[in-house]
Amino acid sequence: MVDFIQNCIDGVMIGAAYGLLAIGFTIVFGVMRRLNLSFGPSIMLGAFFGTWAFLTLNAAPWMVVIITITGTVITGIYVERLCFWAIRRDATIASMVSSFAVWMQLEEVAILMLPGRTYPFPEMFVSGGLNFGPFFFRAEHLTTLLIAVLMVVGIRLLLYRTAFGLALRAVSESPDAAKYMGVNPSRIIFWAFILVSLIGGVAGYLLLATDQQVTPYFGLWVTFKGLIAMMLGGMGSISGAVIGGLVLGIIETQTQWYLGNAFKDMSAYFVMFLVLVLRPGGLLGQGIVERHDLAFRRV
Amino acid sequence: MLIVEDVFTSYGMIKALNGVNLSALEGEITCLLGPNGAGKTTLMFTIAGILRAQAGAIKFDGQSIERLSAAKVVEAGIALVPENRLVFPTMSVEENLVAGAFIRVAKDRAGVDDDIERMYTRFPVLKERSEQMAGTLSGGEQQMLALARALMSRPRILLMDEPSVGLAPLIVEEIFQIIRDVNADGMTIMLVEQNANMALSVADKFYLLEHGRVTFEGAPGELEQDDVIRRAYLGTE
Repeated sequence: MVDFIQNCIDGVMIGAAYGLLAIGFTIVFGVMRRLNLSFGPSIMLGAFFGTWAFLTLNAAPWMVVIITITGTVITGIYVERLCFWAIRRDATIASMVSSFAVWMQLEEVAILMLPGRTYPFPEMFVSGGLNFGPFFFRAEHLTTLLIAVLMVVGIRLLLYRTAFGLALRAVSESPDAAKYMGVNPSRIIFWAFILVSLIGGVAGYLLLATDQQVTPYFGLWVTFKGLIAMMLGGMGSISGAVIGGLVLGIIETQTQWYLGNAFKDMSAYFVMFLVLVLRPGGLLGQGIVERHDLAFRRV
Repeated sequence: MLIVEDVFTSYGMIKALNGVNLSALEGEITCLLGPNGAGKTTLMFTIAGILRAQAGAIKFDGQSIERLSAAKVVEAGIALVPENRLVFPTMSVEENLVAGAFIRVAKDRAGVDDDIERMYTRFPVLKERSEQMAGTLSGGEQQMLALARALMSRPRILLMDEPSVGLAPLIVEEIFQIIRDVNADGMTIMLVEQNANMALSVADKFYLLEHGRVTFEGAPGELEQDDVIRRAYLGTE
């Protein structure tokens, strides 16, 4: 029982970061109805900038934080301009395919920058942990959880309490109607990408600083975790993304403990499969299913 | 108040407007009638800055607006109620109204809240449904919401595209009564409508648009009613 609870604790901590990744996917998907396949790779490249500065320039840990996040945001802007802004609004598939092409490009850039496979990523400036009865909380995990909670609260406030959030939600519901209200959709999408890259950069930093290593395939890893968490929770909803991330984190730590490392990813895919069969709209059931409902009711 | 001079608009190779001239006078209801594909919606979109005119001028209170972005046109005081209403389906009724006032919500939140109260007095049904998702409203209620949302930007002229489309006859009566009321309070309205009978009953002036050109203008009654209706639906030739 102690093990089970300890696994849940660890799962929640790591799941909080998954939740942030899923929020990144879900915001772009919600606003544009397009999948940004370059989201994970742009975080990876940001992290490579960070680790490169750490290895060659001896950058201090707090500098690595800033470089990682800024690098992710700059890469995010590049992706937005190239794969989304430059491509016509009705060419959804073209956006997805080009964001996949840019993914490959970003991986190549990372490999050229730091040839080789695995590089150390500087640890956080916190270490050690906290004992609470029989349970142990890693300091990195606690930091991840704390920052993730703050960010989710911040994102919710931004989306539901500010004019920018209002415009963002309006664009995601009907870009045409939003335009008639005086919203400029392409400007909102641009800022949405910056927001999403910020979230992604922070989540990427937290995950990598916990693992203390980075590879060019971190982008692929982020894409898997983020997309699974988003689909588990339900596309297009912030709370769904958070819940999806937590569920994924807990499933992973539990299976890793009880069944071994080999089963970790397999169980995550299995649960995703079950959820998609039983509740195609995700656990929170919002998004596609409900929109369909609404569309039918209006006819 | 609004003057459209010799406006040409096209979608790629397809010419939709071939030199449209018309004007809307302050305080009046101006109707655009015409068969499908005559360019009525295109004209609305061109005025609202959604589409660009290739040639011609659009003047609003003497100011040229044909080069302004859609957002600037809203700021200038022109609001569009789109065809099929396009309410934000999973936002609440109240959030829809706030979104309508997007151009000033950051600067003047108190004024926006006052305006929402005013809309609730005019449309009591929206007050009853204020927390409900807009997508769950009936067609008539959505039309009221779309109208109220457009009014939230404090426009001086309201462009309405097919307010009767898809609504039951009784609801259409109700919507047109609201249009009369809004106009009686001093709002200038330009109305595109397929339901020619209904449109002529509220119009101060109407234009017949065919093949991207104005082919007739006048006050209701000037042309034989049947003839107007026939041309509005079928066009000449």
